Amino acid sequence: MTRRRRGAGWLISACVCLCALIGCAVTALADEIRPAYLELRETAPGEFNVLWQTPMVGEVRLALEPEFSGETALLAPVISQTNGTGPAQTSIQTWRLGAPQLRGQTLRIRGLENTVTDVLTRIQFLDGTVAINVLQPSAPTLVIPERQTALMLARNYIVFGIQHIWFGADHLLFVLGLLLIVGDRWTLVKTITSFTVAHSITLAVATLGFAHPAVEPLNAAIALSILFLGPEIARTWRGETSLTISRPWLIAFLFGLLHGFGFAGALTGAGLPRPDLAVALLTFNIGVEIGQIAFVLLVVALERSFRQLEISWPAALARAPGYLVGGAGAFWTFQRAAILLGVMQ
Amino acid sequence: MNARWWRAGVALALTLPGATPAAAHLMNSGFGPFYDGLAHPLLSPEDLLPAIAIALLAGLRGARAGRLALATLPLAWLAGMVAGWTMGLPPLPPRFNAMLTVAVGALVASDQRLPLAAVTALTAALGALHGYANGYDLAGASGALLGMLGIASSLFAVVSLLAGQAAVVQAEWARLAVRISGSWIAAIGMLMFGWSFRT
Repeated sequence: MTRRRRGAGWLISACVCLCALIGCAVTALADEIRPAYLELRETAPGEFNVLWQTPMVGEVRLALEPEFSGETALLAPVISQTNGTGPAQTSIQTWRLGAPQLRGQTLRIRGLENTVTDVLTRIQFLDGTVAINVLQPSAPTLVIPERQTALMLARNYIVFGIQHIWFGADHLLFVLGLLLIVGDRWTLVKTITSFTVAHSITLAVATLGFAHPAVEPLNAAIALSILFLGPEIARTWRGETSLTISRPWLIAFLFGLLHGFGFAGALTGAGLPRPDLAVALLTFNIGVEIGQIAFVLLVVALERSFRQLEISWPAALARAPGYLVGGAGAFWTFQRAAILLGVMQ
Repeated sequence: MNARWWRAGVALALTLPGATPAAAHLMNSGFGPFYDGLAHPLLSPEDLLPAIAIALLAGLRGARAGRLALATLPLAWLAGMVAGWTMGLPPLPPRFNAMLTVAVGALVASDQRLPLAAVTALTAALGALHGYANGYDLAGASGALLGMLGIASSLFAVVSLLAGQAAVVQAEWARLAVRISGSWIAAIGMLMFGWSFRT
């Protein structure tokens, strides 16, 4: 073996290790996001109706509890009930809270740091002002603001949208699959635009309440859309063509409709009240697009850099992203089909 | 000479507002430890600048040096982080890493044609030293391993993008621009070195 080949082998091994490590990380982050929702509505000075909705895993409610730093009192006992079935099942608790001075207090969601879920919070005061925020496992506290501007509200939903697509490994893998199929930049622009338009349509349709696709079949169909791209990517390796390869924008549009319903789950799953839906929909979608465009630009720039560095990947390694898309699609399809059929939870 | 001081002043003005304490832990992106790790090198000048400098240095030496740097820096950084995380011995003072930044920036600025082995060894040493300091800061942090993977992934992207671009630079003015950025990095490294005596 020549020194050059040894050097190349070392480089390849290093890259394989790095990709495997990154893959592990992505797998670890691929859990479905089902946000919890906390709503406080002031009904009399210093008195709030509390709605606390948390996702359930099987028959068990996620161990999340809201806590306030200042003076609060329970004015009426907690009433608990469950809503929905299967993966969409949630626990709903309601009670009345007395808090003479809620603004300026720190709200903490105890136990959030041990989960991968988020908590949407909405606090409506008697004077009509509303504060909406997203708490995350790495930032489970919130100082309740004196007043929340529209800009702060938009920022919160944009961050939530970016987070949703970056954490939703299934959506990113679908976009990666499309990138592996498209042959030129103009087709790339058309394909990504089609996907964006399609998922924006169904995101709006679902968020505004015009359609409510069941969660289990939707998740299985999204997984199937990723699996569908695997063989299409393999066709491009063999120099073959198909409808997907010749018109990827068409497939991106059709499957984009499915993914839009998936994006909507993040908003509608939290049960946001209707008055906030328009602004939430718009800014959340902007966040999703920012996250998606950033991912596409990164992949395109990296691919260009690899060409500039004249990296000639061995065939097995060059095809690894395609196998990742097809393999993950197959895994999720089986997993979600099993959930759909009630074989597993 | 005046122009160079002027550039250094502008760079300082642009950089200082974003500077974080040298012993800072991973920044909090709100997206979890992997994304915190991804963001860390991009928002920490003391880590980003040497990574940029070594990517440019390798890129100026051509595609092969760029490829080696692409493999070496993230892995050496990762190995250093694991060592710092597990060993618990304090890392070298920040001023040492600052001087290393000055040295690599100066090598870029002067367009030194170092042997391939020297560039790779320098890359490995720089990655291991900075990685060790990061790993030491991460000791006891939750999600440290995911954070380390995020840092290594981020460095992989930074080196790939910059070394790739530097490797294809042909025009004289473009090569000069790369060298000027090296001088900026050296100048900022000097300022960091001086700043490190403040505490």
